[in-house]
Amino acid sequence: MNNKILRHNTSDIILHWFNALCWFLLLITGLGVLGNHQINPLGKWFPAMMESLCGGAECLLTVHEIIGLVWISAFLLYLLLNFRASMNFLREIFTIHPRRDLVWLLKKPLQLTIGNKAMRRLGLNTELPPQGFYNVGQKAFAQPAVILGLIIAVTGIIMFLSDKVLAEEQTVLVIWSIGIHYVAVGLVTAGLAIHIFMAAINIEERPAFYSMFSGYVPVEHVKYHNPLWYEEIIQEEQSLPDSGTSRTQEATGVQEQSTADKI
Amino acid sequence: MKSQYAMIIDSSKCIDCKACLAACKQVNDLPEDHWRNWIKYSEQDPQSAETHLVHFQPGGCMQCNTPTCVEACPTRATYKDERDGTVKIDYGLCIGCGSCIPACPYGARYRNPITRKVDKCDFCDFWRNNFGLEPACVSTCPTKARIFGDIHDPKTRAYQVLRENSDRVVRLSNPQTETKPNMFYLKNTAPKDWPKPARTPDPIKAMLCCLTPGLQGILGASILGALVMWGKQIFTRSEEEQDDRESE
Amino acid sequence: MNNSNKISRRRFLALAGSGLASAGIGGHLGNLKARAEDTLPTSDNSTQEPGNKDKLESRFSFCNICPNKCGLIARVQNNRVVRLDPNPEHSKSRGMICARGNAGIQQLYDPDRLKYPLLRKGKRGEGKWQRLSWEEALDLAAKKFRDIADKYTRCGWWFTWGADAQAHFVHRFANVFGSYHIANHESLCFWTRNRGFLDVFGEGPPYPDVLNSKYIIMIGANRFESLITPDSIDLMTAIQQGSKLVVLDPRRTKTAARAHEWFPVKPGTDMAFILALMQVIIKERLYDPEVIHKETTGFNDLEKHVRSYTPEWAARETGIPARDIRRIAREMAKAAPAAMVYPGRRSSTYTNSTEIWRSFAILNGLLGNFDRPGGLLARQDLSLHEAKSYLAPWYEDNPKERADAHKAPLMFEDGAMQTMRDAVINEDPYPVKGLFAYHTNPMQAMPNREKTRRMLENMEFVISVDIKMSDTAWMSDLVLPAPSALERRDPASVKQAGSAGACVYTRDPVVPPLFDSKSVFEILQGLAKRLDLGKFFDFGLEEYREEQLKGMPEVKKALREKGVYNHNGSLYGLYKDKPLRTSSGKIELSSARYKDKGLDPIPVYERPQEVPQNSFRLVVGRNACYTNSNTQNNWLLLQFVPNNPLWINPGAAKKLGIRDGDQIKVSSSVSHVLTVAKVTQDIREDTVCMWSGFGNISDGLTLVGHKGGSVAELLEDHIDTLNGNAALHETFVTVKQA
Repeated sequence: MNNKILRHNTSDIILHWFNALCWFLLLITGLGVLGNHQINPLGKWFPAMMESLCGGAECLLTVHEIIGLVWISAFLLYLLLNFRASMNFLREIFTIHPRRDLVWLLKKPLQLTIGNKAMRRLGLNTELPPQGFYNVGQKAFAQPAVILGLIIAVTGIIMFLSDKVLAEEQTVLVIWSIGIHYVAVGLVTAGLAIHIFMAAINIEERPAFYSMFSGYVPVEHVKYHNPLWYEEIIQEEQSLPDSGTSRTQEATGVQEQSTADKI
Repeated sequence: MKSQYAMIIDSSKCIDCKACLAACKQVNDLPEDHWRNWIKYSEQDPQSAETHLVHFQPGGCMQCNTPTCVEACPTRATYKDERDGTVKIDYGLCIGCGSCIPACPYGARYRNPITRKVDKCDFCDFWRNNFGLEPACVSTCPTKARIFGDIHDPKTRAYQVLRENSDRVVRLSNPQTETKPNMFYLKNTAPKDWPKPARTPDPIKAMLCCLTPGLQGILGASILGALVMWGKQIFTRSEEEQDDRESE
Repeated sequence: MNNSNKISRRRFLALAGSGLASAGIGGHLGNLKARAEDTLPTSDNSTQEPGNKDKLESRFSFCNICPNKCGLIARVQNNRVVRLDPNPEHSKSRGMICARGNAGIQQLYDPDRLKYPLLRKGKRGEGKWQRLSWEEALDLAAKKFRDIADKYTRCGWWFTWGADAQAHFVHRFANVFGSYHIANHESLCFWTRNRGFLDVFGEGPPYPDVLNSKYIIMIGANRFESLITPDSIDLMTAIQQGSKLVVLDPRRTKTAARAHEWFPVKPGTDMAFILALMQVIIKERLYDPEVIHKETTGFNDLEKHVRSYTPEWAARETGIPARDIRRIAREMAKAAPAAMVYPGRRSSTYTNSTEIWRSFAILNGLLGNFDRPGGLLARQDLSLHEAKSYLAPWYEDNPKERADAHKAPLMFEDGAMQTMRDAVINEDPYPVKGLFAYHTNPMQAMPNREKTRRMLENMEFVISVDIKMSDTAWMSDLVLPAPSALERRDPASVKQAGSAGACVYTRDPVVPPLFDSKSVFEILQGLAKRLDLGKFFDFGLEEYREEQLKGMPEVKKALREKGVYNHNGSLYGLYKDKPLRTSSGKIELSSARYKDKGLDPIPVYERPQEVPQNSFRLVVGRNACYTNSNTQNNWLLLQFVPNNPLWINPGAAKKLGIRDGDQIKVSSSVSHVLTVAKVTQDIREDTVCMWSGFGNISDGLTLVGHKGGSVAELLEDHIDTLNGNAALHETFVTVKQA
């Protein structure tokens, strides 16, 4: 077996960073356009600064709309061209195992904050239930990210169309879109704070972070953090006529493990 | 504020000839059936009326000092311009969501069906700033019922008239929403009780009162959580190291 | 002007970058720019949208929508008029233009404007046209002038026109062509007023000094809606300064509602009110005997005449309480000489309107207000040189007189529209077969439209010079497109009005003439050349104007620099020590001339016809937001007056089961129209009212279409018995659900 496993292929990587870049630009331009400082969580200074960077609020809004449309188009395009991969991704993140995942969700944050030692002192077993390709923490972010992202896209398009095709009677949709868009972005951003920490800053996840560039993760990392995925890879390799070929992450399902979870 | 342009109206002179509506619509290219200004009509009580049985009251956007419409706009596409005291609309930024429309106690705003953006009187900003012309409604009025000028500048007629009549001047407002309008009616005008309370649409109201602090809280908690986790990582050695040490 | 109509950078980028299939967005680009009333079909003319910062030029001109001729300053960008502002220097208009004045831009850029000469192809009124070049059109017209002149003498042609600065060229042409027939719109309007005042004061029309009058009685006139400058403005100023306004009107107009006192007088009984006022003033000796003695004649006759016209009698006739009549007489006399019975303008009301207005004049005379502050003013001495004067040729074979001569004892020499119409229809005393109409619309202006139709059918050739396809143009043979006043150069004209005195005004083009239009002056010049009358039109307008203003450098300077010359001459005492132009040289409270003609020397009250059971008297009125058929098809003004519903009192409407907004059928003895009901408290129960100008038959007015009902269709053909002026309030109608 190789000592590295392919976790993300090129299109995954591009898509992820494209998404991240768009999100970043959309976030700062969006906050820049939100000029009402009683509403803007950052107050008065941020929109003013963004406006002067762009050369006016109209410019900011234009940039925001263009990037938003490009962002949406890219995802729609990917969905069209790579339907199977998209479905697999969605299936992966929306599949949960309530008992196992709940335990993980309770223990992992404790582990990250008070640490294993403190946990043991409290009488808790520090072993975490095994996870698949994505751990449930990642799923807990991915799910709202996708759903809210969809909501953000739809409400964004409604706002975009407001002064292009919508009639007076339909402006109620626009006003509600503004509120929902705002809340959705806020929630995802809150989740992003954790995601960025977990993915990029957290030392433990460093190999996974690098895999978002190179595509590969070390085997040992996979064995420890994603044992169920590792099992699948083994099984697949064994069923293949020639071994030693690199794996994609097209797991077809996660099998129940017999390892008991002790709490 | 550097200047504060205002309109001082002697509505007892108004004969409802609609010249101001026509001139405004003409010079500002307004669409059919929509107006930036209006004339309100009221029947007087014959017993108390001095000379006339009806009263005509011209009006338009009052360029308020504490405008509720500006409060209701999520993007600040509408804003109070500090330079001349008018409330302006940045048409590049406005997306025509219409939140500002019910937020005006005077119903001064409307959504232009052709541009699909909100529109209202801006004291003929384009004509004033580019060509030094008065607002069209002021120039055209047959009975010269409107006086327009900077009421911060003691040299203007508007300032002087306002000062001379300061004890009699009427500013229309709804008791629930005081926006400090910059439209002053001389003598007794009618009707007086027509401005409605400002009604900000619910989503915007929610954003103003609760969603923003709420999201700030959630984001703050999230960042705090991330910081705590990061802090733990920095200030304590890695778990394995600890485990190893303990198992030794 | 905001920039919201331009395609913003953001919008453009957003659309370009959207990439997604949004065919709907592309389709909506058209909505950003198009407003039908603003764009012009030909490429000759700029379709530049206003709202850009290009150089703005300011050019003087005068509005032409109504007879007031308010001074204006046109703001022009890239040869397109983008804004009209009042000329603050114009003393008559006191620096204002009204809603109609502002709408001059819509008239200029009316999408339905006539663009080139048209010749009727199918039947008259069918609406089938073929385009002619100007050469062809003028050749044909000249041929028709000759043909009809050969067959029927030069008086076979009738020339008619509206209130316009170039209209007197039509008069000149009529004179040199040799026709006596120049009956025009004035005989549908204020002849009776002019006659009444002329016969009392030796001059008419009268100029009321409203600004300085302390007590004004306004009968029928509606100055806050039927705007006349400066009177409408001065009336408001006078009221604010403490003057009293008393209004008699069967309708609660805005003027009535703003007056100190309003009486919903029974229509047609105004003379009773006036006679009773005079009775009180004379009986109680409230007049100034010195003024009466020095300046008037016929007082004793008047005193005898009004003795029996008591307030009690008048109260029975008019419905106005006797004690109010008495009180008003006393108040008025107290304020005299700065008190007046306002002369009004349109006096085309009853068959005895001349006498009604003469009674107004006599009361004014009794008040001693003539040539004094707050009263009636004399004509000021401001006249221009008669330019390019001519001696009209003599045509041997012409008949002795006008076709409608002697149809009424006190007609003016122009002849009257309705009597001429009868002459044409009946070919009596001789045929009149050609009509040249400029800036006028008899089909909507004359009562009994069916008769006007017959009159036009009876003509062999009808030429209309107009800016749009009015109903009269629709019924014509040859339609010639004229430019609007904003596109024209005009000779200088003098105008005097009210407290503002006289002024001189003129026009130069604000923008070049649009399409293939020609001013009526150019048309007449072209015709004259073809009819061997070229020498009477061999000059340009600038040359003409120079001659008019010869030796008047201050006038020329003022016109150039201020856009108007205000005479600022003395308003009062113009007849000091000078006799009036009456036969007695004084104010004729009793007219010897009338007596000689076998007419009443002092107006005798005639009770109007009783309104029949279940009928209403139909009256016409004016509105500040439109001008009869002139502003039909004006996009801006149609926003204010989109239709002409029938005003009907709620009590009357209830009896007929009619609610506000119902479709109704209004019938007179001559025709009927379908229209909509406006149920309002503002009109007497026995009276109904409709604006004029609607219910057009022309298909060439697409913005208004055939909306509304034509008052001309409904009105019966009555005239003033003394003078031939139209009498438009003598028609009774029935109303029922449509």
